[in-house]
Amino acid sequence: MQTKTFKGGIHPAGHKELSKGHPVERYLPKGDLVFPTNQHIGKPARPIVQKGDKVLAGQIIAEADGFVSANVISSCSGTVKAVEERVTSAGTRALCIVVENDGQFTLAPGVGKTRHEGTLSNKDILDAVQAAGIIGLGGAGFPTHVKLSSKNPEGIDYIIANGSECEPYITCDDLLMQKENREIVEGIKLVLQLFPNAQGIIAIEDNKPEAIKAMEAVCAGEKQVSVQPVMAKYPEGGERNLISVVTGRDLRFGQLPADVGCIVCNVATLHAIYRAVFHSEPLMERYFTVSGNAIASPRTLCVRLGTNCSELIQAAGGIREGCTVKKVLFGGPMMGVALTTLDLPVNKNNNALTVLAEDDVELAQSQMTACIRCGRCAHACPIHLVPQLMAEAAQRKDYERYEKKLYGLDCIACGSCTYVCPAKRPLMQLFKQTKAAILAAKRK
Amino acid sequence: MNEQLLNVSSGPHIRQKLTTGNVMLNVALALMPAALFGVYHFGLHALLIIAVSVISAEATEFIFDYITKKPNTLKDASALVTGLLLALSLSPSVPLYIPALGSFFAILFVKCLFGGLGKNFMNPALAGRCFLLLSFGTTMTTFQVDSVSSATPLAAMRDGVMANAGQVFLGYSNSVIGGSALALLIGGVYLLATKGITIEIPASCILAFTAFMAIFGGQGLDFTALALHICAGGILMGAFFMATDPVTSPMTSRGQILFGAIVGILAGLFRVKGSSADSVSYAIIITNMLVPFIDKLPIPKPLGYKGGEYKKPEFPRAAINLTAITLVAGLALSSVYLLTRDAIEEQKLAASAASYREVCPEAEDFIHDEALDAAVEALAGAPYSDAYGRTYINDVIVGVTADSTQAGYVISVTSADGFDGAITLSVGISSDGTVNGISFTELNETAGMGMKCGEDDFKNQFAGVSVDSFTLNKAGGSTADNEIDSVSGASISSGAVVNAVNTALAFYADLLK
Repeated sequence: MQTKTFKGGIHPAGHKELSKGHPVERYLPKGDLVFPTNQHIGKPARPIVQKGDKVLAGQIIAEADGFVSANVISSCSGTVKAVEERVTSAGTRALCIVVENDGQFTLAPGVGKTRHEGTLSNKDILDAVQAAGIIGLGGAGFPTHVKLSSKNPEGIDYIIANGSECEPYITCDDLLMQKENREIVEGIKLVLQLFPNAQGIIAIEDNKPEAIKAMEAVCAGEKQVSVQPVMAKYPEGGERNLISVVTGRDLRFGQLPADVGCIVCNVATLHAIYRAVFHSEPLMERYFTVSGNAIASPRTLCVRLGTNCSELIQAAGGIREGCTVKKVLFGGPMMGVALTTLDLPVNKNNNALTVLAEDDVELAQSQMTACIRCGRCAHACPIHLVPQLMAEAAQRKDYERYEKKLYGLDCIACGSCTYVCPAKRPLMQLFKQTKAAILAAKRK
Repeated sequence: MNEQLLNVSSGPHIRQKLTTGNVMLNVALALMPAALFGVYHFGLHALLIIAVSVISAEATEFIFDYITKKPNTLKDASALVTGLLLALSLSPSVPLYIPALGSFFAILFVKCLFGGLGKNFMNPALAGRCFLLLSFGTTMTTFQVDSVSSATPLAAMRDGVMANAGQVFLGYSNSVIGGSALALLIGGVYLLATKGITIEIPASCILAFTAFMAIFGGQGLDFTALALHICAGGILMGAFFMATDPVTSPMTSRGQILFGAIVGILAGLFRVKGSSADSVSYAIIITNMLVPFIDKLPIPKPLGYKGGEYKKPEFPRAAINLTAITLVAGLALSSVYLLTRDAIEEQKLAASAASYREVCPEAEDFIHDEALDAAVEALAGAPYSDAYGRTYINDVIVGVTADSTQAGYVISVTSADGFDGAITLSVGISSDGTVNGISFTELNETAGMGMKCGEDDFKNQFAGVSVDSFTLNKAGGSTADNEIDSVSGASISSGAVVNAVNTALAFYADLLK
């Protein structure tokens, strides 16, 4: 099939080769595991265990508090060491459950029991997904059972499996598609059962030919599921651009994909749906890339959620000799979150740890010059905004022009403009602040 | 490991290597073919001009930064580009104080005082050039190579002499230092290929200019004339290197197309209607001032606001729009021209008749003499005499009185050596060889200087004198009949008029006496 793409975007160096070649191994943690109750969007989960309780792998340790919330599952067996507030990767404090790992990983009863096809109702599927605590694994962390409980299931035309993985360094979705291709397609078919008029499309960037081949092989006999190669370009995996590229439908600020008849799920989410429904496996593990130029032996691992980051760095060969770590990111270098410490657990929606030996932002700050209005930002913007004019308006605090004339709220904070700016101006940071200020003023 | 402090900042955590300095150096690199050819063609002095211009620009910025205690901004290389652009737009024969002063003005007044790079409202190099043109007109517009001064291809074309377009394209002509069209094109294509500039401004500028010249240039679709208009006179340097200056051009693609088209049309208008050969410079700096307004135009609708459909990139449609606008504007202007053409011709005839009467007052009627017409035609547009520069006989008419006796002759003469182009005048000579007087039909000299040639104080010096030829007295205070006092400060204009009158007298002496 012909490769599609969108206008705008950037081509940062991929560095995927660092971690791509290494075979995926399961890593079983040795130290304590930590499970924050706010890993998802929505209300934090409510802990149902106390200090001293024995827990098993796959056991629910915090229950969803309301519909837009998600269960938290222990990924190991052991003893609850503490239920306390800790700093999370977002930099804020949240209630966390700390489990002292007994190293046995004894499964809770019923976990891993295979179900048989044909007997599943839509409710069975949604219940299984909800019980398994599945949220969007691509990064947003929106509870999946909420996303799949559409009020108008007939109005959905496309289920898009997002395997584009456009962030540099990260290879976890690529390797998952290569190894677990059949499970992903089964996951798509489960979702398709919920949406009778929809067809499934797996979008994969063309820099992952092995994944495209593996997925196409499984889709060969499928009527409703196909593979759509897309050009390797950042932010190809951004929801708005992906929908536009795959279906030709565009959405604007304030619209959800369902408004244009689409549901977008990360391939890892679909994989988790399959495991949850057919194998009664709650979300305990995920593919996770540990890479970056400061890592000795970058690789993608199958890790238990809750594993401490410093343990994972050791699992990837530790820090490269002679390297000084400047920056550690959850996620990739474009939209990733910089960590203040390595003493943090892997959350459900964390897909990678990127450890960098240099800090481009620090360098950029020292080199910042005046805007020369060169327009590279406008050419890079995947939403076709004009960041230079937005920045002018934002600096003048002309929020009226920013919002109404320049469509500033449509900014998806992908950072493409900031990446290309030769004057090294912190555009994305300014836009995030401005958007927050405008939305805060609206709420008043 | 855990004790180590980690840097924390908002994403994106990586940046493209490209810096502002690289962007500017890339422009400088793209100017190298033109600069090298200029030095090769015009010699060492051209190199000195470039060096002085660049050094002056850099030094001005350095000193300004130092005095105002600002961080040194030389590393953004924008002063280098300004100095280089200014030098390449200068005549190769200017004395070295010209580039020094021009760069100083460009950097200090146009850039630094407005807040430095990114804040200037017009292109500094062009502003510097226009400052020099206004202050040192003669020096700036003298094109002298190996101490021989001659006309630029465009000036020659105005006088009906077509330069070899191929030679002009390569740059073997009288022009500014960066005048080689080929070298400029190489640089322009390099900039496009390296994404230093985008296609919108150069394309719309050159297209609009070419369309304008084809319609209003007076030479129609004459390929050589159009080629000369494009290759000479700076439209290429303007379109690729000056109008594309990001600081002073619009942000959006459609804004840039509009901007380029305005530059192209203004450059054409100034070239056709103006007397100055520097149409492009003025066109660009005037359009620069429209940029804040162009940037206020609605931006193209972003993703999600286009009616739900994913659309292919829009450039072709914009190009079609532009072509349509250009065509409509062209048709409108040409119909105005057609409607007013007859009226203009009549006015011209009336003006000529009035001027004939002025210089040959006894005549009732003016008639053509076949033999004289044939003699004028035999000149075939060549200068009448080597002694009086580029001076041409247009027409010779016999004035007759009411009783059909010959009252004298009126000879229409054009000198192409005026300060700002051609000067056309009628010389009345009575039958005994006395000059009755002169009257101008075309005089576009500098206001307050050359234009004073049209005043009676100057004109009356010729009246009632019977000599073989006049000489120009630049000092003034003449006593002899054949001496003409120059208009103060306008010896070039005055000289052209004297040459024109002398040509008429020579024609009279040769054929009518």
